[in-house]
Amino acid sequence: MKCKRAETFISRALDSLLSVEEEEALRIHLKDCNACQKRKKEYSVMIDTLRDQDFPEVKPYFWERLQSRLKEQRKYDVWSLWKRWSLRAVPLSIVAVVILALGLLLFLPQPTHELSQTEALLLRDSLPYPESLTFLEEEGAENKSMQIIFTAMEEKQDTRRYFP
Amino acid sequence: MEENELVQRSIQGDEQAFGVLVKKYKTKVFNLAFGLTRDREIADDLAQEVFIKVYYALEKFKFKSAFGTWLYRIAVNHVRDHLRKIKKVRYISFDDIHKESRLSEEESNRRESSREKEHRIQLLHQALQTLPKKHQLILTLRDIQGHSYEEIASILRLSPGTVDSRLHRARKMLREKIAPFLSQGGGTHEM
Repeated sequence: MKCKRAETFISRALDSLLSVEEEEALRIHLKDCNACQKRKKEYSVMIDTLRDQDFPEVKPYFWERLQSRLKEQRKYDVWSLWKRWSLRAVPLSIVAVVILALGLLLFLPQPTHELSQTEALLLRDSLPYPESLTFLEEEGAENKSMQIIFTAMEEKQDTRRYFP
Repeated sequence: MEENELVQRSIQGDEQAFGVLVKKYKTKVFNLAFGLTRDREIADDLAQEVFIKVYYALEKFKFKSAFGTWLYRIAVNHVRDHLRKIKKVRYISFDDIHKESRLSEEESNRRESSREKEHRIQLLHQALQTLPKKHQLILTLRDIQGHSYEEIASILRLSPGTVDSRLHRARKMLREKIAPFLSQGGGTHEM
């Protein structure tokens, strides 16, 4: 057995993980190897020192102190929850306002639009020119002028303006 | 009352049940933190933080492993995070350790054997702190805390084979660091 393997066995032997055959192989190796005997001793001292050391006592009132920290933590949690939600509320309110504005724009009744004369006539399917046509069909400039004057004097005058 | 029942009650908000669990595990958690920080105040603070974390994470405990193992996993991660945060690794050179050793030799003649042991422990821990975190942790869990290989595998989420090889590697590294102070001499066999 080489020293490298023996060292692995020494380490495992500290945890009683060696099989009977491995233990025997290690024992034979150690009998002839001073270096590994020293290593074994070093491992033993090292592990014994690590395992035997004393730990300081846990500080007094551990649970009581923990309880008060938990209480504080809970308060902090309520505050942080509020903070988190209030921070989320800002973008949420902006989105809500935008949606409301769009809704108002889409669903509010449109203001009544006053039709122009042409639009009104088109909707009535009536021609704005029949009277004008009679003037134009009239022969002679004098007759045309007379026709316009008489027409203007008639009551029909208002209707020619085609108010809707 | 069984441990799982205590956990169940704690989940339902029974603070007294949680108190029983805290009293049961506080020393182990404190010792783990102390083993890695070597500072009583910090270890106490870390242990408290671990239990606060555990209290708020109780609902996530699925009873798949033992409560102690689950709690230990949280403790290990918390202490590891703390060490990472403060970068508390004290890089001690070989010369520093050797100097400490010489002091130890001089003082050992004058002082009681208990003081020697104390000094050896101190030296060992200084050497331990020069190791990579994963090796410090596995040595703390196995050789200081005395956890079984299976428990360590469960706490660190490693296979038992990895625990075995990593532990051996860590012990070897530590031995090599402190060997000059423990014994003299060299090997005769091929390594």
